[in-house]
Amino acid sequence: MRRSTPGVKILQYVILAAATIFALYPVWFAVLASGRAGGRLYTFNLVGMFIPVEWTWENYRVMLLGGQPFLQWMRNSLFVAGVTTVACIVVATSAAFAFSRFRFKGREAGLIFLLAIQAFPGVLALVPQAQLLTAIGLYKNPWGLVIAYTSFTLVFCTWNLKGYFDTIPIDLEEAGMIDGCGPVQSFLLIGLPLARPALAVTGLFAFMTGWGEYALASVIIPAPDSAKTLMVGMYKIANEINIPWGYFAAGAVMVIIPVLLVFLYLQRYLESGLTLGGVKG
Amino acid sequence: MVGWSGRRKTLTILLFIAPTLIGILIFSVYPILYNTFISFTNRGMYRPNPDCTQTLTSIFEPSCWPMFRERAPKGLGQPYSLQTPFYGNYATLIGKLFTKESMVALLFILIALLPLWGARRLNQHYDRQLTRPVSSFVVWLGGLVGVALLAWVLKLPAQIAVLMKAGDFFVVTIRTILYVAVCIPLFFIVGLALALILNSSNLRGRTAFRVIMIVPWAASTVAIMMSLVWQFFFREQGTINQLLKLVGIQGPAWLNNPTLAFAVIVLANVWYTYPFFMTVILGALQSIPPEQYEAAEVDGANWWDKLTKITLPLLRPAVLPATVLSSITTFQMFGTVWAITQGRPSMGAGAPGATELVMVYAYKQIFQTNAYGRMGAYAVIMFVFLFLATLYSLRVTRITKGAYE
Repeated sequence: MRRSTPGVKILQYVILAAATIFALYPVWFAVLASGRAGGRLYTFNLVGMFIPVEWTWENYRVMLLGGQPFLQWMRNSLFVAGVTTVACIVVATSAAFAFSRFRFKGREAGLIFLLAIQAFPGVLALVPQAQLLTAIGLYKNPWGLVIAYTSFTLVFCTWNLKGYFDTIPIDLEEAGMIDGCGPVQSFLLIGLPLARPALAVTGLFAFMTGWGEYALASVIIPAPDSAKTLMVGMYKIANEINIPWGYFAAGAVMVIIPVLLVFLYLQRYLESGLTLGGVKG
Repeated sequence: MVGWSGRRKTLTILLFIAPTLIGILIFSVYPILYNTFISFTNRGMYRPNPDCTQTLTSIFEPSCWPMFRERAPKGLGQPYSLQTPFYGNYATLIGKLFTKESMVALLFILIALLPLWGARRLNQHYDRQLTRPVSSFVVWLGGLVGVALLAWVLKLPAQIAVLMKAGDFFVVTIRTILYVAVCIPLFFIVGLALALILNSSNLRGRTAFRVIMIVPWAASTVAIMMSLVWQFFFREQGTINQLLKLVGIQGPAWLNNPTLAFAVIVLANVWYTYPFFMTVILGALQSIPPEQYEAAEVDGANWWDKLTKITLPLLRPAVLPATVLSSITTFQMFGTVWAITQGRPSMGAGAPGATELVMVYAYKQIFQTNAYGRMGAYAVIMFVFLFLATLYSLRVTRITKGAYE
């Protein structure tokens, strides 16, 4: 394309360097803070703000073994997010296939209806959802959270998968039909295997909804400490005055780094698998 | 599909859709209806319990249904009942809008926004012509200047102040609209700048930079935690002030100053969202044929011409859906703001804090004052608003098409 002059080139790299610091520093800061001794939160050392001049595993030890229910929270969150993902994919895929492939009355209306439901502001749906879950008997129960998250992510899952099915050429299935494939077989044998990238991205976002959600989790499972999900537990740690911030940082690093790795691994699917071109998880 | 119709087709489609449909009906549609019912009652801190002998209550209230009856709360206090008049909660929230001053203020605000509508129409008109005398960018700029002029003539800040006096509802709504209006252009500008740089072909380390720039997006999936890090940066003894101290400046108490606190939540949100815009714009940039730029260069276009006359117009189809949909999610922003400021700093007793956006306000009202009925009404109003925004975004993005169209 355009040939850039040295001046432009330098400017580009200056901007990129600034953007790199902007993008990475918050995460890097958490990493640095997690390696500082508990009481010493602030470092007055300019170098220490960017490079680990001292390092201790003490915060990690405390979070993992020292009486903090961190692993318990992680297990709760893994359970909730994992079941949500599975439920979402299992339930939404067939509907998405139907919305993409079959022509029937109310198809478009149904799609718009799904999006319209999504417009109900999440935080404000807390009260009725919490009441419903309480009535069913799922208050203070992770399954209650699973149900709430699943219903919340269903819309995104259906839409995103439908968008991906739209991009798969229909010829394959038509060929299958001629060979005697019914709609169910064409879905299970042709549609599903082809939709793998979209299933990965959709599953990732469904998982992240369950993993990172705070408001509903803080209402449905407010206590006891060991039953909380990660976000609720970590939020409490960060806001408790007598708990060193380094503990929080160590926990945050252990939560964020796996997320980062999975995300970066699936990054190449983001452009193709995220078909809505707009909706974030 | 070939040769299938009638009852078998209906059954198959139902089989495919039923799980999603049932889930949505029970856990999304019903809560919305239930919430709408609550919005007409005086349910709140002192009237938390249902009175199952009332017909409407026994229909809507899940703990009144026969199978769940034994779990019905039997606390002290009177049961809630329908408001008189039934729209009482709505009247409390937005009633004061219907006074003379508020209506005049609203009218003035709408008039001040007219130039934007005019710019849009003018652009549509130019789009139908063979040549356009000025680029769409200039037209929009003119529209913005028009808004600024009208805002000055009509004393817009004073009008907004009048409107804000009509109740907390308007304070938080106007503030949230302001928040969206500040955030979205920043997402776009940061995303565009980085996408343009990363799209230049002779850049070393392009792939590495692309991966680095995506990191905040990944971090946004655990937004509440990263926001706590951001909060830590801007504490009075936080990182930013430590750095400022090194160069001899006494940093301000960021989160205690209304304007600065607002800027902090904008900054954090930009951090989370620019990778998304960057990804969308990069995708769109790659579909612009390079011949267009070469042809323009032959005609003597400089980079500004190329940006405003080729790049920006061709980015529009990809950026518009992203913009509309992120406006809706930004409007509903909760976790980030909650973790950083919890709506503080306070703007006086009883008034919403300086960073209380609509969802933060709602969360506080629900869990600190237990105003369920009033917040139900609030939810319904927001729902109508966001519903219209969603329909508009559907019109803009045209994403309901199926595989066959």
